[in-house]
Amino acid sequence: MRRKSFSRREVLAGLGAGLAAAVVPGCSGADGGQSGALQVWGGVPAASGPGDVVKAFQEKFPQYKANYTRFVNDDRGNLKLDTALQGGVDIDVYFTYTQSAMALRAGSGLAADLTDRVKADPDLQVFLDTEQPRSYIEDGKVKALATAREPFFVLFNEKLRQQAGVELPETWTIEDFRATAKRLTTGTTYGTYTLPDVARIALGPNYWYDGDRSNFGDPHFEQGFRLGREMIADGTAFPWTEVLSRHLDAYQQNSFLGEEFHLWSTAPFNLRYLYDAKKYPHDFKVSFAPPPTVDGKDWNGGSYSNFIMINPKSPKFEAAWAFVKFWLTEGATPMLKGGKMPALGTVTEEQLVSGMLGKEPEKYFDLDSFRRVVLESDPKLAADTRLAGFPEINLAVEQQRDLCWLGEKDPGAAIREVRRLADAAIARNERRS
Amino acid sequence: MATATVVAAGTKARTEQGSGIRPSGWVGFLFIAPNLLGVIAFTLIPLVSVVLLAFTDWNLVSGLGGITFNGIDNFVAIARDPGFWHAIGLTLVYVAVSVPLTVVLGLGLGIALNRPLPGRAVLRAIFFLPYIVNVVAVGMTWLMLMNPKAGLVNQVLDAFGIQPGWFASSHWALPALIVMAVWSGVGYCSLIYLSALQDAPGQLYEAADIDGASAWAKFRVITWPSLLPTTIFLMVTLIIGASQGFGLIALITAGGPGDATTTISYYMYQTGFQFYRFGYASAIGLVTFVGVLVLTLVTWRAQRGRALND
Repeated sequence: MRRKSFSRREVLAGLGAGLAAAVVPGCSGADGGQSGALQVWGGVPAASGPGDVVKAFQEKFPQYKANYTRFVNDDRGNLKLDTALQGGVDIDVYFTYTQSAMALRAGSGLAADLTDRVKADPDLQVFLDTEQPRSYIEDGKVKALATAREPFFVLFNEKLRQQAGVELPETWTIEDFRATAKRLTTGTTYGTYTLPDVARIALGPNYWYDGDRSNFGDPHFEQGFRLGREMIADGTAFPWTEVLSRHLDAYQQNSFLGEEFHLWSTAPFNLRYLYDAKKYPHDFKVSFAPPPTVDGKDWNGGSYSNFIMINPKSPKFEAAWAFVKFWLTEGATPMLKGGKMPALGTVTEEQLVSGMLGKEPEKYFDLDSFRRVVLESDPKLAADTRLAGFPEINLAVEQQRDLCWLGEKDPGAAIREVRRLADAAIARNERRS
Repeated sequence: MATATVVAAGTKARTEQGSGIRPSGWVGFLFIAPNLLGVIAFTLIPLVSVVLLAFTDWNLVSGLGGITFNGIDNFVAIARDPGFWHAIGLTLVYVAVSVPLTVVLGLGLGIALNRPLPGRAVLRAIFFLPYIVNVVAVGMTWLMLMNPKAGLVNQVLDAFGIQPGWFASSHWALPALIVMAVWSGVGYCSLIYLSALQDAPGQLYEAADIDGASAWAKFRVITWPSLLPTTIFLMVTLIIGASQGFGLIALITAGGPGDATTTISYYMYQTGFQFYRFGYASAIGLVTFVGVLVLTLVTWRAQRGRALND
């Protein structure tokens, strides 16, 4: 039997086929390539709500099929999403959680212009508000819509609060907060984990920026650093050495559930640790207080967030818009269990209670204070829109805060360094843009 | 001999005529194609890309159309960037302390394990273990050991009145990382030294014994010169490895507290993957590559010169 010899052309053809076989699957979308199904990428695990939203969407719109793909909302996860968007992976709708990612994506042509759709829809008029914006508007064009509002509040460990005989505050100042933390401090527990963001409460959105420079010359920044340092030094706030060496920043809930501190300034997404005593055992209730005020100013430290965006390269814009509208208006109820309060407030109070506080809300929460602080109040929330050098400034703030709260650097010197770094970052980024 | 020639000739004849396959260089390419494609896709193209990107301003998200060539601007910016020079300084300290320590301790351990100790094989395996343990496990273990309040290390040091903050102190975080790097690398060094020691010329030791040489004299005149090539190899690989140190920093300190552990690798990561300044990060990578290359060549040349002189 005669065997065939390989010609140069055949060898090259074989190599080409091999290359194609290797590369093509790697370039395909989550479902194996461009498909008829709507591809949605988000940072929340499907089981924590998005899976049910997608299911409800398909029940209402049987003509559309939708797939949800989760990316982990960290540096690597966001890089994966950005690379996929740039590489032409089949993504129609995606979520953006951080302002720095928002600036990059919206400013680089990765967000479809939704202005006409929003203007044409009476249900969505709030997204045109520029005083307390719930959308990301760039050059007059609406590029992203907030799906959630995340107000901050202060949680009390009710058992420890009652033992200490401290009254639950309905309005209070940052000085009251410090005094309360001091009263709650015992030989075995700290008064608080950290204090609310003093400068944010006083200055509101875009508080890092002042014209074409940074705003860290404002005394509230140094006040916040100094207050934190002093409270750590006098033992009323959690020691920062412990926070860093135990990586507590990402696991604050463990120390709160372990009754290491009484006061916890946090947001609704952390309530999921408090209604599930099987996974997160504890035997105390929590009560709610609003964030303290600073110099009479009462901006809430939280914001509108979890922005939904449409890929401008999507060939399924109608289906994508139907999905966005559904998520915003009637489909977001399943997201309550992850602590995502809808930005448009299209759910009832009872849905909010049962969704955010689990099956036995009375067992783990003081419902009166929850209703007062979370349901009935109208906190001053917004989303930052000035974003030049945002990631660099964020890093500078965190680094100098650490040094200050470890007691290695004076608060004034730390803030001056933040200001220097922030000014440089703003100048560099505005020069590039 | 004649038989062998006949057999060989017969084999050749069968290969060329019986099988019908003509030897061709292209067939060889087919066999190495999987690896060749991997090298091209994951080494060659990224390598060339980094060099090109070093002369651009690019944030990835803007796509290939968003690449702006800016000449040598990135390199000028690097020269004026205090963060870069701070990171270079930290990296040099990290390399200058961890590499010699690892080599010296590895040598000592290698010599110790070369002696006829009971359970020697088990001891070798135990000392080599840290080198193969996953970086996450190493990081988590040391994080617990060095907890300023509850860690075992500080509980022992407390007896001497010393309480370092380790990873929660900008003064102690880098020394802590160096301790971990040395701990991870000593077993590997000792194993390499051990194999070199077992190749040492036995007759020279016998001659030295007859001459009544001391243990130190034997080490200085026989052992050390025979270990120099091994030492050069270890120094070069450890310098390259230490200057690229990233995993433990990313896992434990994230460059902090402050910027106390922001070595050049981590600074590059921050610039590229947190600030999305990919052009600038590529330029840092290129400068770092040249720096490490020079450092490696200097080490290699210096050690080689000494070896020849000896």
